Amino acid sequence: MMYPFSYHRARTLDEARAYFEGGEDAAYLSGGHSLLPTMKNRLAAPDRLVHLAAIPELRGITRAGDRLSIGAAETHAAVAASPEVRGAIPALAALAGSIGDPQVRHRGTIGGSLANNDPAADYPAAALALDAVIETSERAISADNFFQGMFTTALDEGEIITRVTFTVPDSAGYAKMRNPASRYALAASFVARRPGGVRLAITGAGNNGVFRWSEAEAALATRFERGALAGLALDPGDMMSDMHADARYRAHLCAVASAEAVGHQGKLTLL
Amino acid sequence: MTEQKKGGIPTPEDGSSPAGPCTDLPEGWAYDEGASGIGPLSVELFRNIGKPLKRREDHRLVTGKGQFTDDFTRPGQCFAAMVRSPYPHARIGGIDASAALELPGVVAVLTGSDAEADGLGPIPHNPVPSTRFDVKLRAPDGSMPFIGPHVLLPTDKARHVGEAVAVVIAESKGAAEDAAELVEVDWEELPHVADSLEAITDSAPRVWDETAKNTLVDSSFGDQAAVDAAFAAAAHVAKAEFHINRVTAVTMEPRAALADYDAESGRSTLYAGSGGAVRQKRELAQVLGIPQEDLRVLSYDVGGNFGARNRVYVEFGLVLWASRRLKRPVKYTATRSEAFLTDYQGRDLHSRVELALDADGHFLALRADNISNVGARCVSLSPLSKGSGLITGSYHIPHAHLRARAVFTNTMCTQAYRSSGRPEVTYAIERLVDIAAEEMGIDKIALRRRNLVPPGDMPYRNAVGSIYDSGQYEANMDRAMAIFDWSAIEARRAEAAGRGKLLGVGLANYVESSIGTPKERAEITLSPDGRIEVVIGTQPSGQGHETSFAQVVADMLQTPVERVRIVIGDTDKVSLGGGSHSGRSMRHAGTVMAMASADLLRLARERAAERLGLPPGDLSFEGGAFSGRETNRSVTLAELSTEDDPLFAARTNEMHAPVFPNGTAICEVEIDPVTCQIGITRYASIDDVGRCINPLIVHGQSHGGIAQGVGQAMWENCAIDPESGQPLSGSLMDYGMPRADNLPFYDCEIAEVLSPTNPFGIKAGGEGGTTPALATVTLAVLDALRAHGVRDISMPITPQRIWQALSDAGATAFDRETAET
Repeated sequence: MMYPFSYHRARTLDEARAYFEGGEDAAYLSGGHSLLPTMKNRLAAPDRLVHLAAIPELRGITRAGDRLSIGAAETHAAVAASPEVRGAIPALAALAGSIGDPQVRHRGTIGGSLANNDPAADYPAAALALDAVIETSERAISADNFFQGMFTTALDEGEIITRVTFTVPDSAGYAKMRNPASRYALAASFVARRPGGVRLAITGAGNNGVFRWSEAEAALATRFERGALAGLALDPGDMMSDMHADARYRAHLCAVASAEAVGHQGKLTLL
Repeated sequence: MTEQKKGGIPTPEDGSSPAGPCTDLPEGWAYDEGASGIGPLSVELFRNIGKPLKRREDHRLVTGKGQFTDDFTRPGQCFAAMVRSPYPHARIGGIDASAALELPGVVAVLTGSDAEADGLGPIPHNPVPSTRFDVKLRAPDGSMPFIGPHVLLPTDKARHVGEAVAVVIAESKGAAEDAAELVEVDWEELPHVADSLEAITDSAPRVWDETAKNTLVDSSFGDQAAVDAAFAAAAHVAKAEFHINRVTAVTMEPRAALADYDAESGRSTLYAGSGGAVRQKRELAQVLGIPQEDLRVLSYDVGGNFGARNRVYVEFGLVLWASRRLKRPVKYTATRSEAFLTDYQGRDLHSRVELALDADGHFLALRADNISNVGARCVSLSPLSKGSGLITGSYHIPHAHLRARAVFTNTMCTQAYRSSGRPEVTYAIERLVDIAAEEMGIDKIALRRRNLVPPGDMPYRNAVGSIYDSGQYEANMDRAMAIFDWSAIEARRAEAAGRGKLLGVGLANYVESSIGTPKERAEITLSPDGRIEVVIGTQPSGQGHETSFAQVVADMLQTPVERVRIVIGDTDKVSLGGGSHSGRSMRHAGTVMAMASADLLRLARERAAERLGLPPGDLSFEGGAFSGRETNRSVTLAELSTEDDPLFAARTNEMHAPVFPNGTAICEVEIDPVTCQIGITRYASIDDVGRCINPLIVHGQSHGGIAQGVGQAMWENCAIDPESGQPLSGSLMDYGMPRADNLPFYDCEIAEVLSPTNPFGIKAGGEGGTTPALATVTLAVLDALRAHGVRDISMPITPQRIWQALSDAGATAFDRETAET
């Protein structure tokens, strides 16, 4: 059972900030599918929850040219089903449709996932590979600057993600090996091909959270085919290791997933 | 020994005669039609037995009308929360509850000292199986084993992570949990041991100060001299060592208990789902030191059991005790985390086996050394015992010798778990047979065929004394191979290789035993409105008793099945009953319900004779009515029943002879050597369940059983960190479960070789899905990886384990291009 807390449903960003600042140890609630289980296990104890889902600025999915903008409170299910997302970046829609289970996808949100920056979450890989801009109540932060290690981001205390704007690539692919128990990513690679080159981001594997594999990006920029990755390897010393996958296996899976993502652009590939 | 004269399992001292056809069947082994009072069964009149009737309980359950323990609420109830040990092994210096007691809403904090002061006893688990068909397990010195008293709350030390050392009672669940965190325990950490191979060594930390060693059972069976001679003369000896990993039941409904005390009558009522309310009543009354009449236990719908709920839990005793002290209802519902930590767990057997063969591949003798990890206390030796009687599997092995040990460790207690003990030994013998086949260059099917117990040798006494009642083992194997499309394996292997996949096939024969508590009682009441109520002491947790039992009674009384209602789970109604475990329910309940039905019909016939003015022998019974032959006078059963004097019959039956369900299962897997991902692509099985009362239910049970066995083979594992002794798979984030999209559509068939031991010829169903599955999956994986030099892999076979096995065998990391060429 959770520790006691108060619940506040904000209607505007200002109201959300005010509620947040009124708490001793407040937390923002979006879909709640990471925060609430943690609270139920008594591993987190915010004294107040400020629910963001009703704030209008955090809703809506729009495309303008090569910019695809998704409101932070849009659920994974909404992103997966969105004609705009499917048309612009089909691999991103498929990624959203591969998160968790139906219950998670109908509650969990893109903003919540990015703010949490779980090292095994899917969205951080897409945000990094698609050169996303994370728009907040205060500023705009590039994905390259946003992710700062496991469960750590550039967000300041009380700052709220409002929208995520992706750069529409020429093509993109996402390949994932799932943890057989949790079905989070054991290792997954998002590969985006863009006019300026290739961006490749790995999630689930790195011991410092999501990261770009620059050697692979360089090789693919020269020759965009899976064979270009031959001989490239990540250092197991940079990988997580647990009973589901040791560091060497994770490093191997990163290479395999990257090759699959290159080979199946426009798609999600489950290994 | 008198037991041996009656013809049960040989005791350790006896040694045993070579295996073969059993010519000296024990007294009372075969079903005696005359003595039972049932008379000849009119199989041709069966209208319901054998039919796939839909389960009548399902509508209630899927529309939220089930009555699970947590659904019950009593006015004024409090809530219990446990203070649990964070250490695998630690002495309790003292417990300070003062801060907890100051919290608003806290009613009481109770410790082991309070329990001692109130004279509470340990849970009388009675873990040593004791029917004359169970192998005799004894302490190293030959005495009855020390089991480690299972007190509700220990006062000396905690012996596993999660062991409750105090209980908080509060007005709300939240207050109880808050207060539990404030209870200060003065812990002194002690060295711990989790693995049984380490625990049996002399230098291992001792779990119990009361004993010199952690080994609580050390018994040997079989004729060692004959075995040694056979090994000395053998052309080939195959050897292997296995660990059958520890798993937990992960029931959908976590365990829960609600105790209500009526101060006026001095009676307690316990709402607690279990595997059998009668045992709960008996053992909990003993813990509390109250007469059994002062305790009523209610167990209605139960959301999964698989063995984990058969034994009494400390929390059940704690809420009963607290409610009597406080004179208020007290409720406890485990969280999923508590379930992972402290539900009784399953398996965890180390097995070292050796098989001697002659030059033609005939099995000569088997040696086995089995070590069961019972955890911190010995709750049940059923897994070790059940497995011990079946070490030779489906094969004729003239001589066998087994050393069976049980050992304490600083882990949660283990208990019988879906097909107690049998998957473990099936895994050992079937893997050993595959190893022997490979080492000797004999086809693995041919080797099995050469050694299966032939039908003509039934009933067959195996080398450790178990009497297999009936079965057509080779026919099972042939039929399973046919439905599996065995002959097309190489074509499928080639096709998979074209897709870059490694295909492998694993076949396992199995025989298992269903023994179970020998006593069962049925009470049947037929009301004037024609409705029939059957009170029975089994306890379903998804097996569909309300349907299949009704089918039996309906056919015995020749009435529509809709009129039969099965009453279970209330000890005020069910006075005696063995509960549901070991595949006993259909056989024991079916038999005693048939007996009670026959008694009821005898009574009805007397009344009918009186009513119709005809001699009882002149009446015929058909369609639920008696009629005078060559008259048009007739009377229905309902008409023979009155409100004041309804038709009623009760029968208690004791039936000792075990039955031996058997069969064959085959699994096909595909492994991607690049990702090391594994998928089951085909699964076929044939299960000889004896007479099948409801094939729809039996198939459903088999399917679930397969998933449970496959789950252990591929995902499930109670992993423990060897350094800290902390469980690593304490939630569904880390404990992998079988899921619908990981399993194929099964090709299952039922074989019905009737058992001569009971009137319907029933054996058992469901657990047969689990028993061979650990072996089939593992053998299929090894078949797939053989070409890459892999010869061994341990469960659960996750992609990580496949990666590791390939690496250990020197296979370099595959890439897609290499794999496809």
